[in-house]
Amino acid sequence: MPTLGDYLLVSGLLFSIGLAGVLLRRNLLIIFMSLELMLNAANLSLVAFARHSVTAFGLPDYNAQVLVFFIITVAAAEVAVGLAIIVALYRLRQTTHVEDLNGMKF
Amino acid sequence: MNPLYLEVSVVVLGIILFMVEAFSGAGSKRSIVYIGFIGLLGILAATFFADPALLDSSAAYARFYSADPLAIFLKQFTLLTTAVVLVMALEYAPTVEAGLPAERRGAGLGEFYTLPIFACAGLMWMASAVDFVMIFVSLELVTITLYILVSYLRRNENSLEAGTKYLVLGALSTGFLVYGITWIYGVTGQFHLATIAAKLPALDQATAPALLFGFGLVLVALGFKISAAPFQFWVPDVYQGAPTPVAAFLAVASKAAGFIVLIRVIQTFFVVPALQEKILPLLAVITGATMIFGNLAAIPQGNLKRLLAYSSIGHAGYLLLGIVSISAPFAGTAIVFYLVAYLVMTLLAFLVTTIVAQATGGDDIANFNGLNRRAPHLAFALMLSMLSLAGLPLTAGFLGKLFIFECAIEEQHWILVILGIITVAAGFYYYLKVIRAMYWQQPTDPDAPEIEVGGPAKLTIALLCALIIWIGVYPAPLLSLLP
Repeated sequence: MPTLGDYLLVSGLLFSIGLAGVLLRRNLLIIFMSLELMLNAANLSLVAFARHSVTAFGLPDYNAQVLVFFIITVAAAEVAVGLAIIVALYRLRQTTHVEDLNGMKF
Repeated sequence: MNPLYLEVSVVVLGIILFMVEAFSGAGSKRSIVYIGFIGLLGILAATFFADPALLDSSAAYARFYSADPLAIFLKQFTLLTTAVVLVMALEYAPTVEAGLPAERRGAGLGEFYTLPIFACAGLMWMASAVDFVMIFVSLELVTITLYILVSYLRRNENSLEAGTKYLVLGALSTGFLVYGITWIYGVTGQFHLATIAAKLPALDQATAPALLFGFGLVLVALGFKISAAPFQFWVPDVYQGAPTPVAAFLAVASKAAGFIVLIRVIQTFFVVPALQEKILPLLAVITGATMIFGNLAAIPQGNLKRLLAYSSIGHAGYLLLGIVSISAPFAGTAIVFYLVAYLVMTLLAFLVTTIVAQATGGDDIANFNGLNRRAPHLAFALMLSMLSLAGLPLTAGFLGKLFIFECAIEEQHWILVILGIITVAAGFYYYLKVIRAMYWQQPTDPDAPEIEVGGPAKLTIALLCALIIWIGVYPAPLLSLLP
């Protein structure tokens, strides 16, 4: 059976992959996917922590799992708004590459 | 009156406005602004009768929600900002209409007036949040609303570009925030700030790195919100591209709420002296970097909104200086006083910018050339707000900086104080550049007609001008009001 450390390792990997994707990739959609990956890394470690901090009644700590549901909901809302913005950008500029977002300079 | 009702009534107000929008038909949507404005002022009046004693401390929500004086103050602050932003949005309506693919007149205007009210509700919840779950959810309510508002002008490349940048970096900071919360939870087993503070002293030393890692991630996320260096790079682009009222909202309300959350989180961790020793130098470095970057990078700017963005980074630096010296007895009041002064002068600057940019067709400083000839009153108001932002004596901005520096001197942060004074001096240069353009440059078009200002905006400008001088000359009544 995997230990808490294993879960945290996987979640740390997910977070790092997500962060690397945001920093290195140039396509907005892939950046957005990577951002979701970062949120899911947090979800995974929250669930793992909840499972391993058993309360006095022998049940997992449900507070953390409630936060996971909130994160999933917020991520869904963020995707809805975010994709709409990216679609609007694509309609206007026919591009989803971050290099093309350089209209404002001083 | 139970303080819980305040946020509920703001949300109800927003829903009512959506209904009015949906059923009022085509045409100008001025009535929405008027209803929203009066509603917000009504709720603002109600905050003075909010009684925290009515909160049931045994109820489940007591773990999430507090209505201490700081929270109530920030609620009033947010309501006032939102009301002024609505006035600004009314002046900004022609640009919004031009920026949208309009099927009919006034399409999309109603939402532009209503969305700030939902963001306001989120900020008010943020002010009361004493639990990481609550902090996260209310912060996201604000951020997602602001994504929409920043990229609102779908036909304007700059607005969409700003919206995309804000979206990616905002979502990135959300990722940092939740991952940081996760680690703090993993170490302490708690989300509630007060319980965490109670548990921290008894914790095993071996868990300290994990705890600091979590705190660091949360600090990065909040650094994004308050635009502290080195997490400030989104600010200039977003402020320049966003609709001006939204930029004002970002600069004032969103930043103030970020600071309140930062104060609450930091106070939680400062209960352990060992943690305080590790966190303070980090904060001091961030403070110094923010003051230097904000003020020096503002010097070559030619666009007024961009200049205000850099200036808002600089002001975040001075506010952080207050947070670094939080152990000084007067520091809490100094920070809150600075926030009030910052609200008044920044909103005034953005309001005048909205009006003038509308009339001259751009928000470059060159568009303000010879403004004194065309609109002496507007030029005077902008001059006053620039002088106050720079920190000239007898204005609100001067006293704000003075109090903060006093606290820093008391705590003996000499290097930061010296840096602060140097950057204030640098600030004078670029603020005076705007004044020079208005009073000494020739107008590009000498025959341009006088700029017309709507009634509500005129009244708001006069009120904000009066407040700057009043707070600067006679701050005693305000100081006695602050928590």
